[in-house]
Amino acid sequence: MTIALSRPDPLSRLWHDAPGYTWLGLLLVAALVPLTAALILDGRMFQGDPVWQKPLKFHVALSVYLLTLAVYARFMPDAMRPRRWRIFGGVIIAAILFEVLWIGAAAALGTASHFNESSVVWIALYAMAGIGAVTLTSASLAMGISIARNRETGLPPALHLSLWLGLVLTFVLTVIVAGTLSANGTHLVGMAPTGAQVPILGWSREVGDLRVAHFLATHALHAVPLAGLAASRLLPARQATLAVIAASLGYSALVLGTFAQALAGQPLI
Amino acid sequence: MPPAPDALFQIANPVALLGWLALALSPLAPRLTQMVAGLAIPLALAVLYAALILAHWSTAPGGFGSLSQVMALFTSPPVALAGWVHYLAFDMLVGAWIARTAARESISHLLVLPCLALTFLFGPIGFLAFSTLRALSRHPGAVA
Repeated sequence: MTIALSRPDPLSRLWHDAPGYTWLGLLLVAALVPLTAALILDGRMFQGDPVWQKPLKFHVALSVYLLTLAVYARFMPDAMRPRRWRIFGGVIIAAILFEVLWIGAAAALGTASHFNESSVVWIALYAMAGIGAVTLTSASLAMGISIARNRETGLPPALHLSLWLGLVLTFVLTVIVAGTLSANGTHLVGMAPTGAQVPILGWSREVGDLRVAHFLATHALHAVPLAGLAASRLLPARQATLAVIAASLGYSALVLGTFAQALAGQPLI
Repeated sequence: MPPAPDALFQIANPVALLGWLALALSPLAPRLTQMVAGLAIPLALAVLYAALILAHWSTAPGGFGSLSQVMALFTSPPVALAGWVHYLAFDMLVGAWIARTAARESISHLLVLPCLALTFLFGPIGFLAFSTLRALSRHPGAVA
């Protein structure tokens, strides 16, 4: 830690502002090495995909989430760094660790993690994972509220607004979409005849896939602040704020549109 | 198709040999040797080991509970390979520790070489030999 702080290292800022999120984010990145090696060495498939593909995707997604939160943590008020916040951070870290260990263990056993109702234990684990997923998503809500309250971020008003709106929207939209996805019993709406997929992301090209809206909902914390950054650079303050509100509405409409599309059994492309 | 255990064995062995060659020549470049044999190669072997365990542990027979369970475990080629990689990685860490300790305590490399050879071939015997050598070297009037 002292080494990281003594040189101009971009990570040192993250360590300082959010040590727990940074630590776990980097741990998940490091775990990509053995997971990728396992993907290469393991010939087993689950529902048409290599068994280690899903843990890899979740490690990438959750490390991006954690490191994004660690970047945004600098805009929280200093008063938000006491014990209560540290305990909350500890709960978030525990929830994410549970999630990746559960998904990794299911992959090692060549079985399902989400939607696994093969035994009492798997049903219980899936229920706990559901609670864990809502918990870990609430980290963005908590940080959004805390940044919203901070009047001294030094950011242009439009960028400040976009930052906390993006974080809050990530929570609200993800809970709506992922809650429905969980209740649906599978990520697909309809029977896929051949299993054709969008490369890398793996979304169905034949039937409705609720993971599209989940993906977009979760990335609100990137998309909206990006719009805010552009607006605050290009427009006068008043219009920039209006542009951020419009972008938030537009992005929400995009999420809900892809959500409705999937529920109607239609693929994205 | 994933690579066969035999093919991975054929790759892991020469990599380990490279590390042992570096250890044998360690007085020439002690720091480089420690980077290679004390860190880089064991880490690479550890990644291979971790991947083999992630991929094959859940379907392997046997277990740790009795000798016959351990023998059953090693009837699975990828798990037997993992066991072999475990030897390669940890023996080399012991070899690197021997080279480091011998240099620090100014023990003659000529006497260390047989200990390294024994560690390479029969791990614990090399450790036993080096520990003995170390104890004798500390004695007043010792030859080393």
